[in-house]
Amino acid sequence: MSEEKTVDIESMSAKDALGYFLPKVDEDARKAKKEGRLVCWSASVAPPEFCTAMDIAIVYPETHAAGIGARHGAPAMLEVAENKGYNQDICSYCRVNMGYMELIKQEALTGKTPEVLKNSPASPIPLPDVVLTCNNICNTLLKWYENLAKELNVPLINIDVPFNHEFPVTKHAKQYIVGEFKHAISQLEELCGRPFDYEKFFEVQKQTQRSIAAWNKIATYFKYKPSPLNGFDLFNYMGLAVAARSLNYSEITFNKFLKELDEKVANKKWAFGDNEKSRVIWEGIAVWIALGHTFKELKGQGALMTGSAYPGMWDVSYEPGNLESMAEAYSRTYINCCLEQRGAVLEKVVRDGKCDGLIMHQNRSCKNMSLLNNEGGQRVQKNLGVPYVIFDGDQTDARNFSEAQFDTRVEALTEMMADKKASEGGNH
Amino acid sequence: MSQIDELISKFQEVSNHPQKTVLNYKQQGKRLVGMMPYYAPEEIVYAAGCLPVGMFGAQKPQIAAARTYLPPFACSLMQADMELQLNGTYDCLDAVIFSVPCDTLRCMSQKWHGKAPVIVFTHPQNRKIRPAVDFLKAEYEHVRAELERILGVKISDLAIQEAINVYNENRRAMREFCDVAAQYPQIFTPVKRHDVIKARWFMDKAEHTALIRQLIDAVKKEPVQPWNGKKVVLSGIMAEPDEFLDIFNEFNIAVVADDLAQESRQFRTDVPSGIDPLEQLAQQWQDFDGCPLALNPDKPRGQMLIDMTKKYKADAVVVCMMRFCDPEEFDYPIYKPEFEEAGVRYTVLDLDIESPSLEQLRTRIQAFSEIL
Amino acid sequence: MYTLGIDVGSSSSKAVILEDGKKIIAQAVVEIGTGSSGPERVLDEVFEKTNLKIEDMANIIATGYGRFNVDCAKGEVSEITCHAKGALFECPGTTTILDIGGQDVKSIKLNSQGLVMQFAMNDKCAAGTGRFLDVMSKVLEIPMSEMGDWYFKSKHPAAVSSTCTVFAESEVISLLSKNIPKEDIVAGVHQSIAAKACALVRRVGVGDDLTMTGGGSRDPGVVDAVSKELGIPVRVALHPQAVGALGAALIAYDKIKK
Repeated sequence: MSEEKTVDIESMSAKDALGYFLPKVDEDARKAKKEGRLVCWSASVAPPEFCTAMDIAIVYPETHAAGIGARHGAPAMLEVAENKGYNQDICSYCRVNMGYMELIKQEALTGKTPEVLKNSPASPIPLPDVVLTCNNICNTLLKWYENLAKELNVPLINIDVPFNHEFPVTKHAKQYIVGEFKHAISQLEELCGRPFDYEKFFEVQKQTQRSIAAWNKIATYFKYKPSPLNGFDLFNYMGLAVAARSLNYSEITFNKFLKELDEKVANKKWAFGDNEKSRVIWEGIAVWIALGHTFKELKGQGALMTGSAYPGMWDVSYEPGNLESMAEAYSRTYINCCLEQRGAVLEKVVRDGKCDGLIMHQNRSCKNMSLLNNEGGQRVQKNLGVPYVIFDGDQTDARNFSEAQFDTRVEALTEMMADKKASEGGNH
Repeated sequence: MSQIDELISKFQEVSNHPQKTVLNYKQQGKRLVGMMPYYAPEEIVYAAGCLPVGMFGAQKPQIAAARTYLPPFACSLMQADMELQLNGTYDCLDAVIFSVPCDTLRCMSQKWHGKAPVIVFTHPQNRKIRPAVDFLKAEYEHVRAELERILGVKISDLAIQEAINVYNENRRAMREFCDVAAQYPQIFTPVKRHDVIKARWFMDKAEHTALIRQLIDAVKKEPVQPWNGKKVVLSGIMAEPDEFLDIFNEFNIAVVADDLAQESRQFRTDVPSGIDPLEQLAQQWQDFDGCPLALNPDKPRGQMLIDMTKKYKADAVVVCMMRFCDPEEFDYPIYKPEFEEAGVRYTVLDLDIESPSLEQLRTRIQAFSEIL
Repeated sequence: MYTLGIDVGSSSSKAVILEDGKKIIAQAVVEIGTGSSGPERVLDEVFEKTNLKIEDMANIIATGYGRFNVDCAKGEVSEITCHAKGALFECPGTTTILDIGGQDVKSIKLNSQGLVMQFAMNDKCAAGTGRFLDVMSKVLEIPMSEMGDWYFKSKHPAAVSSTCTVFAESEVISLLSKNIPKEDIVAGVHQSIAAKACALVRRVGVGDDLTMTGGGSRDPGVVDAVSKELGIPVRVALHPQAVGALGAALIAYDKIKK
């Protein structure tokens, strides 16, 4: 007898589908663990296709940490990690995850749920049997997963995609990554005790491409001015691009969202109604601990976010059945590339979103996304005449973010954008 | 002045005046190629007939202009290197080679403000599989081709093999020197030991090896004296400025071994022999271990340090933790419980080469020596 | 037999005269530290309180940042060891010590014999130090001596999450502009200091009890917030600011007794 409730996915709104599928990823993992199937913890832009093909449930510590941060549960996890010796200067996603890992490890060892865990708003996820990392967004993910593998005594599948100091991705880099794919396959065969399922792998690749095509299409709605799409929604839907791009969960949800956007365009229902005074690009990770505040402050100024290069990192379009094409897709992430390519991506997002200003997150947790902010901002300013501001913040550690500073920077940007418009003849 | 003092002062002259030293080479017609930290293939540069020059910051750099280009949470070593680009110190270089094993270096490699052309290459981090060697070999081909283009020279395989021999010889000599220095802490104060080792970053390695051999021979003639102070192993990126190492001396603490990226990690792994020099260099990266910039999920560093303290009968490990160096910070929670289980005493000192808070370090080191 | 301990810190100088390693004869604190006339003045003050002269001292030990600049001292010992010794004398049996000074916070873990096992100090950042409290008291326009009273009036402490002094200052200003009651902001400031300081204590390992020393422990709000944060009873040393000097005097005695 099935205890599962029948769910009417068909009639759900995109928002409801997101609310249904996102927690279902964690639920699937819990169920897998219960049924004796394997669970993997994965970096957010690592290729899930291999594990999915082998029926391994995957959860995503970065998404998990962002969720904990958004629900104000980060401080307790940070404290556990810092007490273990994780320096406060290490990425806060990692510290939240290390704190959480420590607690569920203790729970597994003692059979008792630590008090901190009981009181945490964290979505429960099971301990992994294998961990999967990929450094296409930072090298911190290498160190983080190296430690996870050691602490939990589980195998590490490492898809090391070398930093592209030249672009496009070199032939030898692609060959190396393909070699790693093959090594990952043999690791999985050993772990699962059965041969790799190439047929299912091909199907999973195709599913991934359908999901990603829908994901990529969402961002094209920024071409409308005024825009029907609020960029902060991308931060929310991104959860599925991360955690379910190899499953149909994301495809279903993104297609619903696209349909709703079409209706909005047809009915001229714009994200900010008549109040879209300016359009900004957000560069960097969201401040999850103050997502509401950052959104409201921008909204108060009539500044709509109509672009961000960050959600575009999940554009892993490739040709199914072609490992070299897949290697290239996972390697070309803009923050894994030379400044020239990084800048080109940033400019494209500004142009596509018809943005008037650029707001850049100097993120204490993310050196790779912060240390070239000035160079990127200057390039956009020089080539496109778009002003930029940089604010100090952190994705999940409230100790490194100041609402007051953020507000001041946004106000300054709004004034700069208004001055520019005025000097151009007040043509709004 | 005794022969030993004379030899040591030669090394100190180099380490205390790196700019003067390398400009002397330049005057004699040698071109200079800067090696950004960490682990760039010096042998290829040496084979080109150039002098590879270390770029591990400077002693207590005055950081000003770099602030425009780096936020405060980049490590002080990179802040220093940025400042030296901006203030013209690195203008004497004919080329610079960048590796990018951490997030800060990835970004630094894209915002060079010096005059010399930059060559960037990437180390593979799935190091133990064969395709990693092929990849790194191709990256080294790129380094060779770029050097040939920039310098207008040919770098033959044979020349690289010869350079590998010179470097392996230096590595062997350096390992022997460290063992000898550990027996004579009365001669090798922490600063003197550091200066002898550091000099290899600014000297022709063949010349450095010859001087090191003379020093070893001279020292070995001296009787070994009992040491009534404490002995420690240093671990981390680097142990500067000199005033920091002087504090150890002040409290009668000898450095008997190190696991520093600027020092022993440079010479603890030889380049294997073979018939394809670039492949041999790539294999060295595969063989190398114990540095947080070279990924290994077995995390052998803790055990390596425990073994080191036993081998050198050290009283403790002193971690020189470069602030904002996340790779180093990531290793700490792993080796900390391993030290505790093995009964190895340790302390962590936060290090910032720009403003090293010497008074606080003095307190920490003295307190640590009091509890040892 | 008399011994003298002198502790020259970054923002204050302290001295203690001890009789036979048992009894505190006199103590003095002046609120200026190393590189000033502080060391001389604190010596003048401590001797003024007695009939003794510096020649009567059987041994003199200096500690604190300025310890190498005290001419009369016959030895220097780090403030870690001195604090441990002094705190153990004032609060026998203590296992953990937290010292909140002007620029430094340190935590020290002792074993059952009272020997220092591990210690940790704050980094350069002023978060969690007395300086942080000082800056906040100025922003809030509440004298330091009254901060504790305000803390205990609070029913709903405000969240002051930034630990960076500059960020926290702007955070406190924005709380004030939102008309959050002052006592709740004060309590938030205390909790913020306690969180940062307790992180150091956890780094060395929390024992069954804690002894607080240093200028910060004179603020009962800080003491209460630390106790709540760690969930263990907290004792405050009798002479919280002079514990380092006391430890130095005790060590001075031990050295000549041996």
